Amino acid sequence: MRQTYGKQLPGMRLTDLPGKLIVIEGTDGAGRSTQINLLKPWLEELGHAVLDTGMTRSRLAGDGIRRAKEHNNLGRVTQSLFYATDFIDRFEKEIVPALRAGFVVLTDRYIYSLMARAIVRGMDPAWIRSIYSVALKPDAVFYLRIAIEQLLPRVVFSRGFDYWESGMDLFPGQDIYEGFCSYQATLLAEFDRLAEEYKFEIVDASADARTVCAHLKKKILEIIDPVRVEAPAAKPPDPFAELLADKIFANLKCGTKEPDHRAAHSLLPPPPPPPHDPHARGNGSGPRV
Amino acid sequence: MGISTSIHVGPFEILSPPKPSVSSVQRYGQHNLPGRLFVVEGIDGSGKSTQLSLLHKWLEARGYGVVFSEWNSSPLVKDTTRLGKKKKLLTPATFSLVHATDFADRTEHSILPFLKAGAIVLCDRYIYTAFARDAARGMDGDWVRDLYGFAVKPTAAFYFRVPLETAIGRLVGARDGFKYYEAGLDLGLTLDAEDSFRLFQGRILEEYESMIPEFGLTVIDATMPVEKQQEQVRQIVQSHLANAKELRVQP
Repeated sequence: MRQTYGKQLPGMRLTDLPGKLIVIEGTDGAGRSTQINLLKPWLEELGHAVLDTGMTRSRLAGDGIRRAKEHNNLGRVTQSLFYATDFIDRFEKEIVPALRAGFVVLTDRYIYSLMARAIVRGMDPAWIRSIYSVALKPDAVFYLRIAIEQLLPRVVFSRGFDYWESGMDLFPGQDIYEGFCSYQATLLAEFDRLAEEYKFEIVDASADARTVCAHLKKKILEIIDPVRVEAPAAKPPDPFAELLADKIFANLKCGTKEPDHRAAHSLLPPPPPPPHDPHARGNGSGPRV
Repeated sequence: MGISTSIHVGPFEILSPPKPSVSSVQRYGQHNLPGRLFVVEGIDGSGKSTQLSLLHKWLEARGYGVVFSEWNSSPLVKDTTRLGKKKKLLTPATFSLVHATDFADRTEHSILPFLKAGAIVLCDRYIYTAFARDAARGMDGDWVRDLYGFAVKPTAAFYFRVPLETAIGRLVGARDGFKYYEAGLDLGLTLDAEDSFRLFQGRILEEYESMIPEFGLTVIDATMPVEKQQEQVRQIVQSHLANAKELRVQP
C-alpha cells in the first residue's frame, strides 16, 4: 500500500498501485528533460510502459498558467495555487491512473519544485506543505544537483536568460543576470533543504549527460526490477563494443584533458561470463505481472 | 547584452525570502488594515446577493468608497474554471483548487489592496462557500481551511439562513434549470437535477450550520421580508463603521 504525505483525496485508493513513481527534480537547466528523453526510450525497450509528465502539462490548467504568465499581474499566492491546480489535475488524471495500470511514471519535477518555488516567493512552508500533503510518496526522487557556477555557462551559451527562471518577479530592479544568480542561489538553498528533509537521491548533474544517465539507469533498475539487478545478466556485455563506444564518445568530447578512466578500465580482460539465466535480460523484457 | 565570454562567478548572495504573506485565517484576522470587509454567505436562492446589492447602494449613497468582488470572477483564472466546468474535467480536488486560485487572485488584486487603501470591500460569497461546498464534495475540512489560510478575515460575515424548500421554490421560478456543478451533479448522487440540487444543497446547509459557531457568522433569517433583513444588515454594518470616518470619499 502506498502512502501520501498526510492527507488523502476523496475517492483515491492507495492500494493496487503497482507502477513505479520516479521523480526527476532539480533547478532550471540541471538537465532534467535531457535525462527523461534518454530514460523513456530505454525503459520502453526494457518493456516498461512509461508515462512522462511535467509541470504545466495539465489539460485543465496548463494553458491558463501560460496565459497568466504572459502578463505581469500574476500574484504569488495565485501563482502557487495555479501550479497546485495543474499538479493535482495531472496527479489525479494521469499519474495515479498510470500507476494503477502498472506504468513507470517519470515525472519532470514533482511537489518539491512547486514547494521550493512557493517558499522562495515568501509563502509559508507549512501552508504549501499542507496543500501537497495529498501527494503520493514516490519510489525515488533523483535530485540533479548543479552549482550555479556550472549552470551559468549552460544557460548563457544555449537558451539565454528567461524572465521566470531569473526570478524577475521576485527581484525586480536587478538586471536579468543578477536576477538569475540571486534567484537560482535562493532556489538551490531551498532545494538542498528539501533534499535533506525528503531524503532525495542526489545526483551530480555537472557531469556529462551520458554519465548522469548511466548512473540514473543503474538506480532506476534497482527500483523497477530488483530481482533482475541481483541476478547475473544472461548475455555478458561485449567488452569490445563498449570500448569502441567509449572511445568514440571520448573523442567527441573536445577539451577533455583527463584520460577516460572508464575506457582504460575496459581494456582489461573481460570478466568471466556469468552462468546462463533464461529468465534474465534478453527474453524477459515483457511487462511484469 | 555585452556578456564577456569569460564568466566571473562570485559568491552569490542568498536573498532572504520576502516576509510570508500567507498565514492562518485567525492570524490574518489580527490585521490592522484601514478598510472594512463585509461578506454574504448562503445557499443559492437565499437572497444574499439582493441584500448585498442593497447594502452597496446604501454605503455609496453615504459617501463611502465601496468595492465589490464576486465569487469566481478572477479574469486570470475564469477561463480555466470555465474550461473545467464545460468539459467536466473537475474532480472535488481540482474544483476546490481552481476556486482557491480564483479567490487568491481576487485577494491579491481586488481585496487586499483596497482594504489597505481604506475602502469598504463587499464580497458575494467568501471562503465559507468553499468550505461548505468542498466538504460536501468529500474534501477534508482541515485541508480546505489550510488552503484558504491566506484569506483576510472579514469584518463581518452574514449568513442568510433559509430552508431548502424555500430556496428551491425561489430558484425554480427565477431560473431555467439547475446547473451541473451547482446541483452537485458531478457527485453522481442522482441523475435528476432538482433531486441532486436538493441533496447537495442539503449537505451544504449542514456545513453552514456548523460554521456559524466556528467562524462567528452573523445569522440573518432570510425568510423575513427583504426590507427587514436589510435593516438588520445595515445596523450591524453601521456598528463597524463607527471609527471609520476616514473611509468617506468626497462626493
